Amino acid sequence: MTGELTFTRVHRGSPELLFACMTEPAHLTHFWGPAGTTTPVENIVVDLRPGGAFETTMVNDTDGGTHRMRAVYAEVSPPDRLVWVEAGVEGGMRTTVTFVDLHDGRTEVVTHQSNVPAAYLSAEAQAGFVTSLDRCAAYVAGLTA
Amino acid sequence: MSCAYRRGMPVLEDDLSLVFSALADPTRRAILERLARGDATVNELAEPFTMSQQAVSKHLKVLEQARLISRTRTAQSRPCVLETERLDEATGWVARHRQVWADRHDRLAQHLGSLRGDEETAR
Repeated sequence: MTGELTFTRVHRGSPELLFACMTEPAHLTHFWGPAGTTTPVENIVVDLRPGGAFETTMVNDTDGGTHRMRAVYAEVSPPDRLVWVEAGVEGGMRTTVTFVDLHDGRTEVVTHQSNVPAAYLSAEAQAGFVTSLDRCAAYVAGLTA
Repeated sequence: MSCAYRRGMPVLEDDLSLVFSALADPTRRAILERLARGDATVNELAEPFTMSQQAVSKHLKVLEQARLISRTRTAQSRPCVLETERLDEATGWVARHRQVWADRHDRLAQHLGSLRGDEETAR
């Protein structure tokens, strides 16, 4: 078992639009950079195919410092699913984004991140369980409360 | 692929993997819960489980390697002590990553609003 995180948010818009937002530099530039940073459109590389690059260079608003995210797409299935892997982060971070059509003009965007050193993957697969980090966290919070 | 991942893995996150791996087992979580109420010896920890002392010792070893617990070297009974700092690190990992996505989706909601041409902003 390694660290996992699931983040879910419902947005107004079709899965197609949300998928475009997550994959087109012209959209990404509006929201990608973490708080306090911006990601200029020319700093975003999207080669939308399995094995293609997904790279963003975020610029710190106050000191101009940059932080580069380098990932490679593992799965590109518009408008349902998008997977990329950052080999250099947290021991290999896999991010899976799924777009669920709620059929009322809204789309549920589920982001699942897992840090996947293969040493644990096999043991985990054998045991046949997947423990979500959220549950771990709730449990841990209960312990330390 | 596995080798590349492991080679590039920062030490801190590697340690954290041990923590999450240790937390994945229900018996070990039960042991931690017990220790959250106070230090206990191996005998005391084995009591509520239908498990040999040896089996409990194995679980304790995993918890000790993850530094979720420590064992007193001085006392004969070597009571186990919960190391809350490690648990805090684990929750910190979640909080950090969660915050990045929360902020990102706040801005995405704003962006979608501006695409629709309305003045609605995400709170």
